[in-house]
Formats: sequence, structure tokens, C-alpha cells
Amino acid sequence: MKVAPTLKGGLRIDIETPLDWMVLRCISYDARGGGIDLADRVSAPMAGDEAAGDWQEYVLPELRESFTAQLDAIEAAIAHAGDGEEPGEVFITREDSDLWYGGLNQARLALEERYGFSSATLEEMTPGERSAWFRSQFYLHVQSVLLDHVLK
Amino acid sequence: MDRRPRRRTCRSLTMSGTLTQTIEDVSLDVPWNVVVHDDPVNLMTYVTLVLMKIFGYPESRAAAMMMEVHKRGRAIVWTGEREKAEFYTQQLQAHQLKTSMEKTE
Repeated sequence: MKVAPTLKGGLRIDIETPLDWMVLRCISYDARGGGIDLADRVSAPMAGDEAAGDWQEYVLPELRESFTAQLDAIEAAIAHAGDGEEPGEVFITREDSDLWYGGLNQARLALEERYGFSSATLEEMTPGERSAWFRSQFYLHVQSVLLDHVLK
Repeated sequence: MDRRPRRRTCRSLTMSGTLTQTIEDVSLDVPWNVVVHDDPVNLMTYVTLVLMKIFGYPESRAAAMMMEVHKRGRAIVWTGEREKAEFYTQQLQAHQLKTSMEKTE
């Protein structure tokens, strides 16, 4: 897989093997699979505030909707790029870069919550944890390229 | 439609017998802080970028706030009236930053 900026200010991901397809499809799988409510998580510090009830009722549903929309858009872009067998390309336009960054963030967050990478070494990890760690590093790399070449 | 939280309850007696009452929050003069909290996932560059985007801060100021979040676990990124504080808090949470608001002491 290759990830590179385009002349139009976006990003292109070249998908070369079936494994590449699998890794890309894992973005939404990882993000949705952890059972983590990201909206709850980002607003958790407000729990003691007197407006917490209103926040739960009015703001959180909107946040949940926008986070789900990010993953839906990523899934649609990957599905549009090909059948999962032949090489393909995913284009991330400048306009879509925020939602891709957010979706990748959700996937990393879910993996971090599930496996707690920051407190483990590669040698201590099980094969499943190691695989998740490598996916997390890949998501981080795409985020870094997005930050350096598209979002800034 | 603006669906940000409102601190208002309405009560009055109508023709059909429904009782409604209005309670206004009068503590509008107390400034509120918007606080960003540290987390293990968000990249430092991203936090800086979000602060620049939402508040229009220059990079040096946004980076200093980001470093305070990183080193102290939290930083006050804005202070002002409650309605705006709610708006900014919602914006920061939409960018997946752990954020809260609190009355200034």
C-alpha cells in the first residue's frame, strides 16, 4: 500500500494486495467494534457540570451522528474504490480530509481503549494485539500524512 | 436549528389547563472557562491545528496551550460568556478533543 499527497491537495491511497483491502476495511471495523461511545468519552469531563443532563440530551446525539457519518463515508469510499481483489485507489479530497482524520482517530481510540498499547511492549503482546498495534500505527501514519499535507 | 442546551424552563396556565412556568438563568455575568483535557490518542499537531481553526489563535499561542494540556493534563483555552463557551465546547468535542466547561473562580 502506498499513501501520498496529490497535486490537487488531497491524498491518494494505492491498494495493491488483498491484505491492503483488509487493512482499510478494518478502519470502520476497529472503530465500531470496541463498543466505545466516543461522544460519551469526549464529553466525560462534563459529568459533574450542572448542564450535564442537557448536554446528554441535546449535544451527544448530534456528536454520535457526526462520528457515525465519518465511518459511513469511509466505508462508502472504500467500497467505491474496488471489489477487494484487484488493485485500486482511494482518493481523499481536501473536503473529505476532516472526516477521514476523524474516522482514523476513532479507530485508534477504540484500539487504544481495548488493548492499552501505551502500557505494553511489542514482545509482551499476543499475535492479535500485535496485529491491532500495527493497524493502529498504519492509521497514525495516514493521519500524519493528512496533517502534514492536507489539513494544514 | 440551534440545539445547544438552554437553561430555561417554561410554565404557564393555558386554556387547556396546561401549567407552564418560566425560569431564567440570571448568572450570565459569570465568565466560563472552556477546558481541554489530555488524552493518549490525539496528536499534538492536531490539537494545535484545532485550536487555531476554532478560536483563530496564532500557531504560537495554540501550541503553548497544547503543551499545557500535554504537561498538566488540562488547559483553559477560552474564557467568556456561557453561550459561547457551550458553542466552543461542542465544537472541540466534535473534533474529538476531551473538553469541558466550568465557571471561573
